[in-house]
Amino acid sequence: MESRTAQPYWNPYLAGFGLGLVLLASFVVMGRGLGASGAFASTITAGLNVVAPAHVANNPAFAEYLKDGTSPLKDWLVFEVLGVFVGGFLSGMLAHRVARTVEKGPHITTSRRLIFAFIGGVLMGVGAKLARGCTSGQALTGGALLNAGSWAFMIMVFVGAYALAYVMRRQWT
Amino acid sequence: MIAPFFKYGLFGDNLGLVVAFAIGIGFGFFLERAGFGNARKLAAQFYFTDLRVFKVMFTAIVTAMLGVYYLAVFGVLDLSLVYLTPTFLLPQMAGGLILGMGFVVGGYCPGTACVGVATGRIDAMVLFLGIFAGIFGFGEIYPLVSTFYASTPMGQLTLPQVTGLPYGVIVFAVVLMALGGFAGAEWVEKRMAARNVEA
Amino acid sequence: MSDLLKNLSINGRLALVAFVLGVVALFAGSPYVGAGAMVNAKDLSLAMATDADQVDVGTLADWIIQGKSNFRVVDLRTEAAYAEYHIPPAENIPVAGLAQSSLLRNEKVILYAEGGPRAAQAWMLLKAKGFKGVYILRGGLEAWKDHVLFPRIPATPTPAQVVDFARAREVSKYFGGTPQAVAGDSAVTAQAAMPTLAMPTPQAAGAGAPKKKKKEGC
Repeated sequence: MESRTAQPYWNPYLAGFGLGLVLLASFVVMGRGLGASGAFASTITAGLNVVAPAHVANNPAFAEYLKDGTSPLKDWLVFEVLGVFVGGFLSGMLAHRVARTVEKGPHITTSRRLIFAFIGGVLMGVGAKLARGCTSGQALTGGALLNAGSWAFMIMVFVGAYALAYVMRRQWT
Repeated sequence: MIAPFFKYGLFGDNLGLVVAFAIGIGFGFFLERAGFGNARKLAAQFYFTDLRVFKVMFTAIVTAMLGVYYLAVFGVLDLSLVYLTPTFLLPQMAGGLILGMGFVVGGYCPGTACVGVATGRIDAMVLFLGIFAGIFGFGEIYPLVSTFYASTPMGQLTLPQVTGLPYGVIVFAVVLMALGGFAGAEWVEKRMAARNVEA
Repeated sequence: MSDLLKNLSINGRLALVAFVLGVVALFAGSPYVGAGAMVNAKDLSLAMATDADQVDVGTLADWIIQGKSNFRVVDLRTEAAYAEYHIPPAENIPVAGLAQSSLLRNEKVILYAEGGPRAAQAWMLLKAKGFKGVYILRGGLEAWKDHVLFPRIPATPTPAQVVDFARAREVSKYFGGTPQAVAGDSAVTAQAAMPTLAMPTPQAAGAGAPKKKKKEGC
């Protein structure tokens, strides 16, 4: 299967339309939007709670994910993100796009790319916590609901990314 | 008014988790279809060669916004029951800036990193670990930043409330802005393609 | 026209639909349930018939003591009356301001005024505007004074009444009230002072922290 050539990606407007319908379904069925970073926080809290429960209880940044008695993993966002993995894999497999590779520009070594990926992930974790959400929970969900803070967030995401784009150009182009 | 189904008690928490999983599958599917499992496609947004991040995001926002608006106007959906994250302006703007920087450095955002991992991208897996490290680190420094984290609280605030304009007018403005943006994006992509051929 | 539509790409068609819907939105009005109110008469009469529209003063006192925070108490009286005394967690929203208040449709709201009618009118108003969890404090502030702040015991109490009164005394003290010895002892009643407005501190043991707000969003 991996020898089959990967199909091109969809027309972005159609993919966006589909994404919008999923988001709308989430509003109509659940009364809430999509998310991602919250699931990461719940997972960490669950892990830490096994290793150092006292530490979790004393830290409000983690304690907010603990719910009365039940595991932080029994959470809406955690199940939603599990679905994202499955949906992403399904779509990738159907289009022959599942491949063990590193996505990078031609002028950067794989190890440097991975270092940057890690740093980017750290920044993203901090940013998403500070902003109470990520591109899914804030920009997409809040954007559709005309949430004022989400629009401010979204503008700043583009500002931040474009501000560093020139510095990072060796990685991508 | 019958929606949101969950808040009208049509099903309980446990079935809600099943729904979450199903909605997640749809979310992941369309993210992958859009090319968001690929860091190069995502990063191309910031070098003006492929503006699909903007196109996909705003098509989705416009679709969901129009859907929510008309369902609410027709009395199917009770908009006041749809959860709206409260606004904390400064921390949200700072968080957006940091997340945006992380986006161009790392190549994914949290949701798309999941799709990258699911389709075998090793850089996405490393970034995935980075997110965990970042959230853990934020938790550890939380006592230092908790004041800033809770600053400029504005409650649940929408653009119609900020501007004092009717909801429908803002909907129209967002549609217009998105369509203008799409036209601009197509034009920029064509120009960049022409320039790259010349170069 | 139809030729034009046929020649339009899929992107163009999506854009056209979005544009038309956007233009219509200019005139389609507010998506929130507006100033016009809808009344579901069957629903309302059912709530009244089953008494599901009221909360006892004793129940409310228990909730406050237990530190529950999943409800809002609204004092519908004037600002002056509110400043003089109000039930500790109550916020002051005079009836005229009810329509513009920050109350959310999915919140549990308990309304009270001096007696019954004013709160009942406000209840009707909010119900008509689509609020789900609105309740009237049975008997209003008068009942709160009689049963919570200044509970009394009959001159010849039955054993059950003695037990009730012992409990009522604790509740009364919690809210800074003065339990009355015997009903009809007008001298004592006259002296009973209204408690100060300081919010009682929730009891440490057994009261439990306010229930954590469920985390939503990303």
